[in-house]
Amino acid sequence: MKKLLACLFLLVIMTVVISGCWSRKEMSELAIVLGAGVDRAPDDQVRLTLQLAKPGAFTAGGEGGGGKETPTWVVSETGKTVLDAQRKLAGRISRHIYWAHDVILVFGEEAARHGVLRYTNYFYRTPQSRETMWIMVAKGEAKDILETHSQLEKSSAQDIGYLARAKTGYSVNFKNFIVMLSTRGANPIASRVDIVERGITQGPEQEKPTIHKGAALTGTAVFRKDKLVGWLDESETRGLLWLRGEVLKGVITTPSLAEPDKEISMDVIRGSTEVQPQYDGESVWFNVKIVVEGDLLEQQSGEEILDREVREALEKEIAREIEEKTRLALEKAQREYGVDIFDFGEAFHRKYPKDWLELKDRWDEVFAGAGVDFTVEAHIRYSGLQSRRTALEE
Amino acid sequence: MPEGGKIDGKQAIFLMVSMVLPTTFFFVASVTAHLAKQDGWISILLATLGALLIAWLAVSLGLRFPGKTLFQFPEVILGRWPGKVVALLYIWWYIHMTAEILRQSGSFMVSVFMPETPIIVFELLIMAIAAYTVRNGLEVFTRVNQIILPLVLGLVIIMNILATPEMNLRRLLPVFMENGAVPVIKGAVMPAAWMGEIVTMAVLIPYLNKAKEAYRVAVTATLITGFFILAAQIGDLAIFGPEVTAGWLFPGLNKIRMIHLANFLERLEPIAMTIWIAGGFVKISLFYWVAALGSAQWLELKDYKPLVLPVGVILLALSIMVHESILGLLTFLGTFWGPYALTLFQVGIPLLLLVVAVLRGQGGARH
Repeated sequence: MKKLLACLFLLVIMTVVISGCWSRKEMSELAIVLGAGVDRAPDDQVRLTLQLAKPGAFTAGGEGGGGKETPTWVVSETGKTVLDAQRKLAGRISRHIYWAHDVILVFGEEAARHGVLRYTNYFYRTPQSRETMWIMVAKGEAKDILETHSQLEKSSAQDIGYLARAKTGYSVNFKNFIVMLSTRGANPIASRVDIVERGITQGPEQEKPTIHKGAALTGTAVFRKDKLVGWLDESETRGLLWLRGEVLKGVITTPSLAEPDKEISMDVIRGSTEVQPQYDGESVWFNVKIVVEGDLLEQQSGEEILDREVREALEKEIAREIEEKTRLALEKAQREYGVDIFDFGEAFHRKYPKDWLELKDRWDEVFAGAGVDFTVEAHIRYSGLQSRRTALEE
Repeated sequence: MPEGGKIDGKQAIFLMVSMVLPTTFFFVASVTAHLAKQDGWISILLATLGALLIAWLAVSLGLRFPGKTLFQFPEVILGRWPGKVVALLYIWWYIHMTAEILRQSGSFMVSVFMPETPIIVFELLIMAIAAYTVRNGLEVFTRVNQIILPLVLGLVIIMNILATPEMNLRRLLPVFMENGAVPVIKGAVMPAAWMGEIVTMAVLIPYLNKAKEAYRVAVTATLITGFFILAAQIGDLAIFGPEVTAGWLFPGLNKIRMIHLANFLERLEPIAMTIWIAGGFVKISLFYWVAALGSAQWLELKDYKPLVLPVGVILLALSIMVHESILGLLTFLGTFWGPYALTLFQVGIPLLLLVVAVLRGQGGARH
């Protein structure tokens, strides 16, 4: 009996204790941040732009009965720090701003040119925001990027996040970004995000299809330390990826040897990049070895690829194409911006730790003057479902 | 004897691992990476070596005086009053250490998960359960630990494996060249002071059912702990690199936060919380028990149970009083704790006691 009473007593107590705790936040009390933008406002102020998920819009069964209403809401406010700006925003958002589902963090061009170190600390420090969010730099203002909407996804922030995750260009998460920021001998890079024409909006009631403008990734932003110095376009970004040996997928297209006005495309399946620094006490140079393997998936011309010699010539041509793209990115980094964005400094650091001590303070200069030798090998491993081009043309 | 429980060798190993590992796992990399940069893992190796020496010291001392704990044999060695002073110092040290650990546990919960909750809530909850456990005696929390530790170790291993896609072992290079030996040794001080808590063996030996196993227990426990800390350290460095690792408060937590696999296995911090709370609870219970037992033996009481609540109140109050903020806690642990715990309580006094005991020919030759 005594035990029974004690159990009952415990049960009653539990109903009080278990039902809640101090810092609880119900879903219905949160304003979930999907994307954040940081711009530079006058007087070195921070303009924080948040794309918030509208409650209810993301729940299942939204059959579009409501029609055209967008599921997100964009707010922005200026403050001395990111947190200060957020505090001011709290005054006009009825819910608690919740960072844990933030997909992207966009820096405005102006903000990036003046240095991002001023803005990154909040995201480093706060337990709510995630190390896995994507970092990008807007061509123009971050606010404009967040104000776009997406046709395919529920919000433009998620749309851009998926683009970054697909890694068609260079994309970097917050963790890797701060690692690059804090490592000597490495300069950060991030995806560039821009507003472009992304497609045509169709609809039965619409007289004329309208052009839909949306945010998309269009290359890479190049930093020196924490300041933006310039951009790489999409084709230079390919070269950057080859050189960093990070995501070696994609398509390489090169003119046919037999018929120069026709092209051949190879789909790259895997590849590897090896960077070997050399130092003789005076000059620094790098031997870069890139090996790619792929499938030949399109052939406009009609040469016989079963012929070993033709195939080898083709592989050489593909290798040359890769080297060209890589040189393009390298040239730009060495000549135009003078910053090491390929982690060559880290490679040098690992091989020559003693000499690194002398060179690390002027590494970007050393890098700009360094010679780079390329050895590129391409291998065609598969050819899709065809072995030879059917000779219709003759 | 105030404590009647007996535990076997395996249980003792489990206890000694739980004493150090679960919380150290989270923050050790931050301290070592700050001092030794990418060579932090070498610091851990050095620290393990140091902890092995401390373990040898503590066990040799304990075995000389069968049935007597660290709070009793100083009297035999140094005479009644000097011995009492030494034992009192140890009681202070255990109370202080438990308070620091308690503060640390609470700070973790507040700073990471529930910023608006007063820290006393977490501390009170942990202390209430720990007090209950300690009152029930050594055997009880030893058995609880037999359930908790495999869970904790399993989670630690799984978390490290899941985080491997983020790791790049080249971040550990170059090894040992540019920084020289001094930073590496400096970096070893802190982990050595944590792993040196193995000195607690000198309290535990009388409660082993086979005292002869003490060496094996201490060495095995230290090696297991060292291995896990090493793995955690290498994982943290390979993910974040030395600079960013040194910036985090709890690199082990950030490592778990980094895990994102196949779009659904992500946001695993609750597991970090599980490891921390479960492991921290055993750790606190053990030191709390030592403090209560030590006080009873010092006062020559028949039972330590009446002292559990008073000691608990002191611990709780002390843990709130010692630091004004988490930054104070960090500075204290990072700079003062190493020399204080290591030189005085883990090496200094035990070595002094052993030397005197050998010189005076006290204590049975090892049986």
